[in-house]
Amino acid sequence: MKNKQYSLKILETSIVNEEKFIAFFDANYMLFKDHLISIKGDLSDNVKKYLLDKKLIYVNNMTLPQGRSRKALEEEIHIHKTPCESEEYKKLEAQLAEERKDNAVNQQIAKSEIAQLHRKLAHNFTVIDSIIRSGREVNIDGDLLLLNRVNSGATINTTGNLIITKVVEGAVRCNGNFMMITVSPKANIIFNGVEVDNELLTDKLNRIELKNREIFITPVLKKEITWVQ
Amino acid sequence: MGTVIAVISGKGGVGKTTATANIGVGIAMNDKKCVVVDFDIGQRNLDMILGLENRVVYDIVQVMDKEASVKQAVIKSKINKNLHFLAASQTKDKSILSSEKVKSLIDELRLNYDYVILDSPAGIESGFEHTIEYADKAIVVVNPEVSSIRDADRAIGILDAKSQKVKDGDDVSKYLIINRIVADMVQSGEMLRSEDILDILNIPLLGKVPEDRGVIDASNQGKPVISNKKSIAGQAYERISKRICGKDIDIRDVESESAGMFKKIAGIFK
Repeated sequence: MKNKQYSLKILETSIVNEEKFIAFFDANYMLFKDHLISIKGDLSDNVKKYLLDKKLIYVNNMTLPQGRSRKALEEEIHIHKTPCESEEYKKLEAQLAEERKDNAVNQQIAKSEIAQLHRKLAHNFTVIDSIIRSGREVNIDGDLLLLNRVNSGATINTTGNLIITKVVEGAVRCNGNFMMITVSPKANIIFNGVEVDNELLTDKLNRIELKNREIFITPVLKKEITWVQ
Repeated sequence: MGTVIAVISGKGGVGKTTATANIGVGIAMNDKKCVVVDFDIGQRNLDMILGLENRVVYDIVQVMDKEASVKQAVIKSKINKNLHFLAASQTKDKSILSSEKVKSLIDELRLNYDYVILDSPAGIESGFEHTIEYADKAIVVVNPEVSSIRDADRAIGILDAKSQKVKDGDDVSKYLIINRIVADMVQSGEMLRSEDILDILNIPLLGKVPEDRGVIDASNQGKPVISNKKSIAGQAYERISKRICGKDIDIRDVESESAGMFKKIAGIFK
């Protein structure tokens, strides 16, 4: 038996206006070409043909499993861990191993993967205070607090949340639950696969977050701070 | 023990070689023994700017390969007896350089001079990496325009990653020269302001050099512009050289100076 696991990005949508739908995909093709498109509601032949022409892979009216938040994942790992240590579970595991070796190997892999994920979740916070110069690519598995500039030509990738306190002129890719960023007219910001419009960043610090699969931008720190004399 | 200073820029054509030549002369004028070394193997032109074009006998590659000694290869400048020059090879290419050869050459120069100035090639490949590898300090030359700033930023990044001093856990101090500033273009917003450049690059300022028509002629004549007391760029290099030699000279605000004079003249006619 050969197993392969991977995550993929899904764009869930429904069609109200066909023209608008097609125009949207024409405009955002680069962003969604590797996504799985999940469409609710009926599909006309016209749309089907369009999707086929564009080589976009889609499913229609299918219920897909929903992703879980970090907290839910952590809780799940916790639940998985407790029975692992009990006598009963060990017995059961030994039985299974004797019966089907293949399965035992798979379980081992799953266990080590969960352990790895747990380690990741436990030590996932990085602080960087050096300037990120052109040509540097910072890949962080977890959360990042960056206390300096990101210069033009530099790239920041994080799987977790991201806070940058100074101006960004490079590219930023964040896949966490939220990010905070200052006014950065030259930055290229992609948050969970969606490009963030720089003009929406208007204050000293803006909070960008994903709520119910929608992106919200809220000001955190106003530009002008007036101190008491 | 002398100080080894690499002059870098990332982008070509921003005035790296001109800056090297003028700083070399300037340091010599401050009564320090100084050698300028052209590290741009295969594309030497520092010799022309220093006016030593037809005096080159041995080059840096021959010194590294022990075909000639440093004493034989260095050329004394006509302008100042404290200034010596070591030419790049025009026939070989950069692949000839190796870390060990560069190290032994720089170690030898360090013993004999107060300042060793290395003129780095443009770009960020092996020739550049060899220039910065054993430098104690670096002077970054930029023009007030975005492409020069980004290339310099990249060059600083590589310097911080590949320098031997950084690998030993030390720090290479970097200083910025903003070259070819046109005052009224800065004021009209066509050219980047020095404050913005310093914000982006985040290294201390060594000096600002205004655009000066005399520089090109000086290079063609082989007489670095610093020897011309009337030239505004020459004066800027004089101040920069004094700062390198440890003198405390205020940074001149070349962006508003010439325009200020213009306003004064305009004021007379009011």
